[in-house]
Amino acid sequence: MPGLHVRGHVGRILPALRRRRRAVLLALLTLLAVVIILSLQSRPSVTVGPQQTVVTANPKMGVHTRLTDEVEEWKIKRTLEMVREMGAPWIVEYFPWAYVEPDRPGQGEWEHSDMVIRHASAQGLEVIARLGYVPPWARPKDTSPLYLDEDYYAAFGDYVYEFVRRYRDEVNHIIIWNEPNLSLEWGYRPVDPASYAEMLRVAYTRAKEANPGVLVLGGALAPTLAPPGSEWGMDDLIYLQAMYDAGAAPYFDVLAAHAYGGKFPPDEPAAADAINFARTELLREIMVQNGDGDKPIMITEGGWNDHPRWTRAVRPGQRIDYTLRAYDKALADWPWLEAVALWAFRYPAPARTYQDYFTFVTPDFQPKAIYLEAQRYAQGRED
Amino acid sequence: MLKAERINLRRRWPALAAVAVVLLLAAFLLLWQTVGVARDRVWDHIQTSGQWLVGMDPSFPPFQDLDEAGQPVGFDVDLTRAIAAHWGVEAQIEGLGFDGLVDAVQAGRLDSAISALPYQPERTEDVAFSDAYFEAGLVLVTPTGSIGVASVDDLAGRRLAVEWGSEGDVQARLLRRRFPDVVLLPSDTPQAALLAVAEGQADAALVDHISALQFTASDARLAISPQVVVSDPYVIVLPRKAPVLQQQVGEALQALQADGTLDALTTRWFGTTSPMRVGSP
Repeated sequence: MPGLHVRGHVGRILPALRRRRRAVLLALLTLLAVVIILSLQSRPSVTVGPQQTVVTANPKMGVHTRLTDEVEEWKIKRTLEMVREMGAPWIVEYFPWAYVEPDRPGQGEWEHSDMVIRHASAQGLEVIARLGYVPPWARPKDTSPLYLDEDYYAAFGDYVYEFVRRYRDEVNHIIIWNEPNLSLEWGYRPVDPASYAEMLRVAYTRAKEANPGVLVLGGALAPTLAPPGSEWGMDDLIYLQAMYDAGAAPYFDVLAAHAYGGKFPPDEPAAADAINFARTELLREIMVQNGDGDKPIMITEGGWNDHPRWTRAVRPGQRIDYTLRAYDKALADWPWLEAVALWAFRYPAPARTYQDYFTFVTPDFQPKAIYLEAQRYAQGRED
Repeated sequence: MLKAERINLRRRWPALAAVAVVLLLAAFLLLWQTVGVARDRVWDHIQTSGQWLVGMDPSFPPFQDLDEAGQPVGFDVDLTRAIAAHWGVEAQIEGLGFDGLVDAVQAGRLDSAISALPYQPERTEDVAFSDAYFEAGLVLVTPTGSIGVASVDDLAGRRLAVEWGSEGDVQARLLRRRFPDVVLLPSDTPQAALLAVAEGQADAALVDHISALQFTASDARLAISPQVVVSDPYVIVLPRKAPVLQQQVGEALQALQADGTLDALTTRWFGTTSPMRVGSP
């Protein structure tokens, strides 16, 4: 009978199908297990580790780290460990707005920032967060990420608010923008101290709304002797006075200063027509003249370079000597200065330019002699 | 052919045609790629114009400098001209800051860059590098005729002079992990470190090859160990898509090495010869 024939056929096929399905399922499960094991192996987990504290003979020592483009977590952790082991309690780090909100306002891609802050806090480091870098949606097409129209100051203020609120327990200092007295850093436009004062007002107001205790650093001016009317920038001393003239004083708690020594030692006297480490004293004089003498200064970039060919470089031994004397000068002679964060602790990859010779540690974490000497200094060792 | 076979072939015709098209396309691509690789517009232009445009930063004597008349002079200038002469063309030297030279080659603004430039492994996707023509790395310098210290392995218990803060200093500190009894003698300059050896205050100095050559040229009391401790080769930067030029530069360097021109350049600009041999970085 046809019916019986079909039943007999199905009766033979069904168990075979079930066996095959089981085999396929087993193979899939095995494959899944292999994928999971491999992915776990290729992504080693990085633990934050126990809470550390920085042991140092000079609590004003600091460095500017360069973790913005550092992808791997263990490298972020190792960098910050080495900063702590060197004896520097302060770091300046950049937290670009465009990385957190690349496509739209409020996007909130905080993973990388969270990672940096988490490890910095665990190492006992005090973070001075530098905020800036405009996402494409907040500026006209074909402009630089350092271009920000006043129409978007409120959007930048929102980012400042979100950043300060998110890290209110970990970050007590923020810097608004970087070197606004250079055309390059002002989106290749003529620099505008009054507009920067307005940016400070917006950012300061929003930051204090998020955390009244956060300290807002303004300025971060590039030391430059640009002549009046220069298309490249404005003399930092003139710019600072112009900021005061524009009413910026109530909108920053600390002045951020950049103090590069060039070929001069840290004791070289300050002069309006010279760029050296002591130029910071001239910024201080302008603050005092404007009734702002109670406010502290923090050096958030600076230092010396020992490239063998760069015209503004010194010998490696001079760099060590000047750097340690600069840290010492900040501690002994400048009570109004709270921190000296020198450029730059380590780059994620070699720049292959003179910039590599500003660093304390190589990209592969080899300490340079300056690192070892700074560590010895921070440990108070005389040997 | 049987009727059935003809029908079968007719059915298979589209598939056969597709295979034929793919094969033809593959053959064309292979041919195009082969011809494309062999073509080198930079080399062609050098040949047709008779000019080789080379960038350098004339601010690093004795490799590149400007003489009183403002003309470029130095080891790299002579090397450039020697290679150009080897090809029968004229070298045209363009001054540019050393930081921008590699980018200028990548952008096609220069045919090549010769400016005491180190090998940069992370730039090999952008430009090509020649074999080394000079070794600028760290070397060990000892008293002439000294048989006690031939390499860093012989430094246990010795006094080692270095420039404080330099790469030599870093390497010496690392060496002390192997030989804790090495006595480090830091000096302010490489010249002072070398002088310490010459005057018997140190058994050896670990300094860069350039400083070592310049010192030993005028002080026969010291000799350079022929084994480089940390290599830092100087190379010629070339466009990546210029395979013929790359090959020609390699051959020219080999020829200049073989006929003694490279040694003669070292003698001319350092006043002495080097025991160091150079080659692939």
